[in-house]
Amino acid sequence: MEQEIRACLEQKRYQDAFDRLLPEFQNKVFRLAFAMLGDSALAEDIAQEVFVRIWKGLTGFRGQSSLSTWIYTITRNACLTALKAGWTKKESSIEEPSVARAAEKSGIEPSAHAGIDVLRHLQELPQKYQQVLRLYYLEDRSYEEVSRLLEWPMGTVKTYLHRARKELAEAVMQGKIR
Amino acid sequence: MGCGEFQELLAEYAGLVGDARLRVDSHLAQCLGCREFLEALQTVDAALAAQFSGCEPSAAFAAAVRRRVNREAAMWRPSFIPELLDFVGWGAIVGLIALLAWWVSPLIPVWSAKDTLTLNMALAAGGAFVLAAFVIGLRSLADLKH
Repeated sequence: MEQEIRACLEQKRYQDAFDRLLPEFQNKVFRLAFAMLGDSALAEDIAQEVFVRIWKGLTGFRGQSSLSTWIYTITRNACLTALKAGWTKKESSIEEPSVARAAEKSGIEPSAHAGIDVLRHLQELPQKYQQVLRLYYLEDRSYEEVSRLLEWPMGTVKTYLHRARKELAEAVMQGKIR
Repeated sequence: MGCGEFQELLAEYAGLVGDARLRVDSHLAQCLGCREFLEALQTVDAALAAQFSGCEPSAAFAAAVRRRVNREAAMWRPSFIPELLDFVGWGAIVGLIALLAWWVSPLIPVWSAKDTLTLNMALAAGGAFVLAAFVIGLRSLADLKH
């Protein structure tokens, strides 16, 4: 699909390129935004903004990087701007629409208790641990995808993930999370 | 290998195979602390997978993006001013060249009839001006299309 989009760009068919690009990347952009921001409503808002920026920037895209790299860079920058502006809220919960949809899809009754406890404890971890942890589960536990989307070395991703999971596991063992 | 080192392996327990798995299983059979740690890891894993797996944007996301893009497109109007300025600029250049040629022409002995020369120069300048206008017009149309 990326080849098709590039072909449209080379022929200056920018609307066609955007029409192909939106369904192809919307989930990934949303998941990356959600992982970085921890709030699904804000993530949707930022993801919409990202696609508007992509639409505006298509005429200037020269193909020095891959299309996906360019899109994820725009996404990360938009999220970092939102984080610096303090747009994130401290708590998220099982009532998050996208989280509730996910729980429904997996067939698991949203166990309010354990889910909320884990999420609340997650919020207390360093920002980088939170981001890598969210993205790891959002991307079906793929280290490669997490490394690619966040543009962090694989070793860093594994280290952060390991430390984050260890902290949460220790909280479970100490009875802080049930 | 101490418990600390086994705990590093426990983080990847599901993916362990062969000797590594046998070593870990053997340690787990003897170490309650590590067994509890593995259970805690699995609890965390299950809770986070339930929370985050399959998260997607809302069904209205794509439509919302298109509305925002259409709003942005409506705010942008193509401007004729750059093309108009181009046209004026090129016209001025062609006019100057024609004026220069007319001023220089008496110095060239080959041409004897000044009136004929003036007419020819004017025609050439006019033709060049029309050609330049045609080229600029075509380019403007192409730019506006995009």
